[in-house]
Amino acid sequence: MTGHALVGLAMLNALMLGVGVAALWAFRGWRSWAEIAGLSGLAYMLGVALMGIALTLELVLGVPFSLATVILTGGGLVLVSAAARRSLMRWRPVPTEERIRGLGVVAAVFGALVLVYLEALFRAGRLAGLSAWDAWAFWVPKAKAIYFFGGLDEQFFRELANPTYPPLVPALEASAFHFMGSADVVTLHVQFWFFACGFVAAVAGLLAPRVLPLLLWPFLVLVLVAPRVVGRTLDPQADFLLDYLFALAALLTALWLAERQPWQLMSASLFLGAAMLTKRDGLLLAACVIFAAFVASWRDRRSAWPPIALAAVFGVAVSVPWRVWFSSQDLSGELPEAGVSGMFQNLDRAWPAFISVLSTALDSDLWLVILPLVVAAVVLAFVAGARVLPTFALVLYITLIAGVTAVLWSFTELELPFVQDEGVNPIVRLTASLVVVSGALVPLLLDAAWRGETRPQEGN
Amino acid sequence: MRIARGLRPSELLEWPLGIARLGVILCVAVALVLGLVFFVRAVDRLGDDAQRNAALNFDDREFAGGNSLVVDKRALYEARALIPEDGTYRVVTGPRVEGATELTEPYIDQFARSFLMPRRPAADAPWVLCYGCERSALGDSAEVVWDNGAGISLVKVGE
Repeated sequence: MTGHALVGLAMLNALMLGVGVAALWAFRGWRSWAEIAGLSGLAYMLGVALMGIALTLELVLGVPFSLATVILTGGGLVLVSAAARRSLMRWRPVPTEERIRGLGVVAAVFGALVLVYLEALFRAGRLAGLSAWDAWAFWVPKAKAIYFFGGLDEQFFRELANPTYPPLVPALEASAFHFMGSADVVTLHVQFWFFACGFVAAVAGLLAPRVLPLLLWPFLVLVLVAPRVVGRTLDPQADFLLDYLFALAALLTALWLAERQPWQLMSASLFLGAAMLTKRDGLLLAACVIFAAFVASWRDRRSAWPPIALAAVFGVAVSVPWRVWFSSQDLSGELPEAGVSGMFQNLDRAWPAFISVLSTALDSDLWLVILPLVVAAVVLAFVAGARVLPTFALVLYITLIAGVTAVLWSFTELELPFVQDEGVNPIVRLTASLVVVSGALVPLLLDAAWRGETRPQEGN
Repeated sequence: MRIARGLRPSELLEWPLGIARLGVILCVAVALVLGLVFFVRAVDRLGDDAQRNAALNFDDREFAGGNSLVVDKRALYEARALIPEDGTYRVVTGPRVEGATELTEPYIDQFARSFLMPRRPAADAPWVLCYGCERSALGDSAEVVWDNGAGISLVKVGE
């Protein structure tokens, strides 16, 4: 690890922030510098999603991958955003003003705690070795292959484990190698620290103007300090980045259901697309968000469903080229060995799979009591008279649990009940999505419960 | 007494909004207490991790997960130094490695694949990383370039 590598990483992340700021300007615009600052976390994560999608598409198309490619891709996305703003301006309504609250005592205290936590996370990550099994076995080797050979090397992408996993994370890691000047697998952990910071800043930036500080910060901190998050958030593999992208997509969709600002759904759609290109589980997570949005907007389906469908189509569309590529290369492993029909030949696995998912999601050694608080928040929001938001959350969590159960049920090579090492059985990694999204949704739900039917956003 | 702007304690028992608000207060209380307790533990744990990582030497950091299966780091460093970057190699394993773990034989090939990149693995490669292999099976032209004396060697096979 060297200062040079850290400076390189900072430059890459500044580039992604610039791309995201340009994209947000195109989607949304803004009224003040304070608004830009407040939404800078969201902008950064949008930049990560956009860069990830663009670099993945370039890899699939065979564009040589180099430092220049990454820089030109970033520059190109900024130019495209500037051009897109012209056309979007025609129909984009003026965004709701993000009320900038003064930094109250609660926000200041918890903001300081979050800064202390992130500083500790940085120190832990900056000299961390590449210990996570999946990270050294295939995520980072794929990134190295892109870095050394300038593309999706036919040999390595065939021989490394999980060849059908999408290459968004390896592409971002390879970009980090280029900016660091070498395949520095130690400093690479810091890139995942940037992702964690971006996620926290994005959630805080989106919710601070909408939610009482005492309803936002304690839950955000609770998610950050969950033992599993503390231990694994910097692993250079796709799991937590997928969870961040999914959580932001779910949060923005929830906000869109309440406020109907087009930029919210556009941003959600980008995050869904990026999630689908991050891991194959992303398809499941995206489907849950879209289904929950459809159900929650049932009463307004004539006006709400077309844009939701459009967002879903965009998300799927960006993942199609990768699927075409790996199919054309005869790579397999995307589906269970026994096929989808194997589920029905193994009906006896359904109940143990469900119990395993539930017990893992409720395991306080991993996730504290976050899931019970989610249940309480949904019930309280319903009790207070809110409908759209708690319906969205309820359907999202139910479909997620059902989806994760289906994964365990269908992959018959996974032992049930869950006793395997988590490197073999993905259940713990899958349940992380339930927890990370809670950091974004629980504050909204509790705010709806606190304000009751008077909450302006619940007016539709 | 007011517990929040415009809210009296007695209102917290009114159905439905008062009860909902009471529930919110309880949820916040749980999150606050647990969040603060585990915040301290998290920072403590991260501090320990940072100290432990800082105490590692460069090799341990670079091998990290590989420490559970790589028996002699020198072999892979020698392979990196001697095999040209555009060269090819193969890993041939066997049971004759002193100090091997149960992970060594099945996974050393996988670890070498990442560690030795951009060198490519190939079935007919002239460079052989012999991890307890039967060297005589490599042919008469096999030249031992490096040997750790405990079952691991780097061999060049004549082309």
